[in-house]
Amino acid sequence: MVKQESESANRPDNTAFTQQRLPAWQPILSAGIVIPGFVLIGLAFIGIGVALFVTSKSIQELEFDYTGYSNESPCSSCAQSVVANCKCSLNFTLTTLLQGPVFFYYGLSNYFQNYRRYGASKDDNQLYGDLSYFTSPSSSCSPYDYDSSKKPIVPCGSIANSMFNDTFTLTWTVNGKTNNVSLDGKGIAWWTDYNVKYRNPNVTPLKNAFNGTVKPINWAKPAYELDASDPSNNGFVNQDFLVWMRRAALPNFRKLYRRIDASGDYKNGLPAGNYTVDITYNYPVRAFNGVKKIVFSNVSWMGGRNEFLGIAYLVIGSLCVVMSVVMLIVYAKFKFPDEE
Amino acid sequence: VDCQLNLYFSKKSFFKCALHSCYSSLVLFFIPYAAMYDTVRDDGKDIADYQSFALLTQTCLLFAVSIQMSYWTAVNTIFVLGSLVMYFAVTFTMYSNGMFTILPSAFPFIGTARNSLNQPNVWLTIFLTSILCVLPVITNRFLMIQLCPTINDKAKATPAPPTQRARIRRTSSRRSGYAFSHAQGYGDLVTSGRFLRRPALTRSSGFTHVGRTTTSFSPMGRSAGYSPTGRPQNNKVPNVEVTSLQMYRTITDSAP
Repeated sequence: MVKQESESANRPDNTAFTQQRLPAWQPILSAGIVIPGFVLIGLAFIGIGVALFVTSKSIQELEFDYTGYSNESPCSSCAQSVVANCKCSLNFTLTTLLQGPVFFYYGLSNYFQNYRRYGASKDDNQLYGDLSYFTSPSSSCSPYDYDSSKKPIVPCGSIANSMFNDTFTLTWTVNGKTNNVSLDGKGIAWWTDYNVKYRNPNVTPLKNAFNGTVKPINWAKPAYELDASDPSNNGFVNQDFLVWMRRAALPNFRKLYRRIDASGDYKNGLPAGNYTVDITYNYPVRAFNGVKKIVFSNVSWMGGRNEFLGIAYLVIGSLCVVMSVVMLIVYAKFKFPDEE
Repeated sequence: VDCQLNLYFSKKSFFKCALHSCYSSLVLFFIPYAAMYDTVRDDGKDIADYQSFALLTQTCLLFAVSIQMSYWTAVNTIFVLGSLVMYFAVTFTMYSNGMFTILPSAFPFIGTARNSLNQPNVWLTIFLTSILCVLPVITNRFLMIQLCPTINDKAKATPAPPTQRARIRRTSSRRSGYAFSHAQGYGDLVTSGRFLRRPALTRSSGFTHVGRTTTSFSPMGRSAGYSPTGRPQNNKVPNVEVTSLQMYRTITDSAP
């Protein structure tokens, strides 16, 4: 190339950076790297998969559908009646100890908490205790922001309005005696939800903050009576309310209801025996073919029982090993013609 | 102009690209979906909620696209790693208590990052998703290299002659080729007129440079140019900027 004098002042410097001549590392897919790499990845995945699968299998889980669609189901009478606070009972037997800590969940199916309009229908400012939003809820809550007499609804919105209101108690029958299993409702919601995101308005008594407002249409009691016996669980920081407000991503979901209190007979979990769950059936799901369930489960380091991750890792690990063998064959077959 | 006449659209490339995109999209959604189905945190609390699921999916996406780089320069690496760091920094900031306190309605995701990204099964899901997005690409490329190698691949496959490596020991010579005050310079090249045939290529990517035509002259071999000292010609590579990582080889393409 002919030498050129730099004539214009705008000519960029002749450095590697400006002339885009930086040294670059490019992964060259040679057989010596790819094939052992795949084998390594495959073996690592298989190892992780085995660990996950074994852990998942060791989690004990019991699930009971109590919607009452079929006539043999214990709650079928409640499902068909429209009376409030209908009571029904569900019996089950544990053959072995259910290792603690045991968690008691309620599950819903075909319930789309991830629907966009539903999910947007709440007022975070109201739930943060901002009293100015008590008198004028955000318009995103409509049509659940004002009732028919134009009074503001607190807490407004569809998510709050649709709060799950079935209640459960658990009893254990052994030797003819029926013992009540105590359920712990503290700390079932996220710490950040309870301590930061949701706050009660700074008014004592709490009832006065709700003057001039009405409770959501589907609620039996107003927010300040969600747990009148415990002020730290009343109002917007009620744990059940917080658990419900953390809306689920998928149409079939579970939400934590209570923890089995690990004291007395239940120190190690739920002992074997006959159990009865007394259900107060309030929540209507038949209109949209929803299903209600209760679930007893313990947890491990990977959370609840989910075999997918273990199986996925095993499958991908095996595929990697198989692919590495295939690539080795391809490489070996095509290498020799080239060398001639 | 060729582009206006739609001469360069390759249906095959488009189809391959579309297939890869469809596959990645399905993986990026359904792996987190299946991993989060009916799952809870390791302390029994909720993890399959809308916000955690969204965070998981977008983190999987970030990792999947960060890994799929074809070549890594220093600048590239800094920016990719930097953007990952920025992503986590911004996420944790946006989901922090402070931001929520300032404007509650604008930061509804408060606490999500803290509560979901400390779960091992979330990170295992992210790891699985990113690897699953990347592995088919690598497999495909490797098999293509073996079964239908292009001229680039053949160049990379032949090992560099050792004499060249011994000579090129520049530490940071990204100077222009003009500063050869201590070497014999381009005199013989200029007089032989060879420089007019070869265009200068200044891009550096990877370890190889392949000649454009099959009639490339070999700068490493004996040139027919004038060599005053009678010694073997220095392997200065004329009219291409020399860096310590570029090596020249002559590649012949058997197929026309």
